[in-house]
Amino acid sequence: MVIIEFLLILFISSIFAGILGSIVGVGGGVVIIPVLTLFLGVDIHFAIGASIVAIIGTSSGAATTYVKDKLTNLRVGMFLELATAAGAICGAAIAAYINSVALELIFGSILLVMLVPTVMKIGEDIPKSPELKGLSKRLGLSGSYTETDGTVVNYNATRPEVGLAGMAVAGVLSGLLGIGGGAFKVLSMDLAMKLPMKVSTTTSNFMIGVTAAASAGIYFARGDVNPVIIAPVALGILIGATIGARLLIRSRNPTIRKAFALVLAVTALQMILSSAGIKL
Amino acid sequence: MNLKDPEAMTAVVGNVLRYGVLISAIIIVFGTIELIAASGNSDVLGNIVYNPDKIPHGNFDVSLSGLVIGLVGLQPYALIELGAIVLIATPVSRVLISVFLFAAEGDKLYVVVTAVVLFLLLFSILVTPFVPGFQA
Repeated sequence: MVIIEFLLILFISSIFAGILGSIVGVGGGVVIIPVLTLFLGVDIHFAIGASIVAIIGTSSGAATTYVKDKLTNLRVGMFLELATAAGAICGAAIAAYINSVALELIFGSILLVMLVPTVMKIGEDIPKSPELKGLSKRLGLSGSYTETDGTVVNYNATRPEVGLAGMAVAGVLSGLLGIGGGAFKVLSMDLAMKLPMKVSTTTSNFMIGVTAAASAGIYFARGDVNPVIIAPVALGILIGATIGARLLIRSRNPTIRKAFALVLAVTALQMILSSAGIKL
Repeated sequence: MNLKDPEAMTAVVGNVLRYGVLISAIIIVFGTIELIAASGNSDVLGNIVYNPDKIPHGNFDVSLSGLVIGLVGLQPYALIELGAIVLIATPVSRVLISVFLFAAEGDKLYVVVTAVVLFLLLFSILVTPFVPGFQA
């Protein structure tokens, strides 16, 4: 395949990955990694390096819109990022000594199981907000946003300690495998902390950029961030994330949850298949 | 710019993200145009060879000196890498500005939380690549 063809295929798939990733709060690796490894015959390490760049692009590209519309909850994001960043450093430190096959199988299975509560909440538009008390109150984990029809949605977070534990897992996973972090972040905020779906995915969108940036130095130094691969990925992702962010603002929570459930299922299957030696 | 006004700080966050992304994209576009002009019709295989036994794993220079020399010569690889570095810097600068954002709101707890996140982030980006145990 000639270079220009290679760039074009990656550019177009990255636009799609950026749209999807920015809506459901993941980095788009779920689309980009299989395109690179299966279709373009790129080594998995380069694919993960490209995925890191894709995550940061999705996060920063969409954030411009999310910051303006006050959808991302910066306090929730920063508080949880404590666990994620620490987890990511631990994950990277032990990566050389860990059997990633077993890990992928375990975490893939956990994600698959999490599909059940996610699908059960599929009709939920705005969650019944719990009373703000305990640790959530001390940490000020509440907020509000406005839907496009003018409805003001007020929400409070609950069980921040469970969310924090989920985030530590997400961090270790990002540091170890370079994938799957975003799905765990959304699940922690949605299922444990009972935040509205939009707040969960956009806050995850903010966090994945920070977590990915934390491990970017290592991937860069290893030479896994290949210029020919990341150029079309970064450009496509930035365009896609800009489009996706506008779509999210106009979508209702149940639509976003359906898209997330789909991405969750595919991510889980990818991890399980990958542990069986099928690198998708 | 008034550092005591949360609204103004939010606007600053928005602008840093917007310009960071834009500058990164422009640099990468230039690098890509050069790449296509120089070798658009050659086979891509040589560019995506992965060497598991040597660092860097790819056929491109990732050292600081190599990057600087490449940038002086406006080489496509160096430009794209610079664009990637600018992109990687956007979330970091967002965390940095958030420290001031929380300070503007008078929220001391979150000034500390955000500062710790920033410390972990900088440690991970700047220190861990040079710790041998992290070089898988």
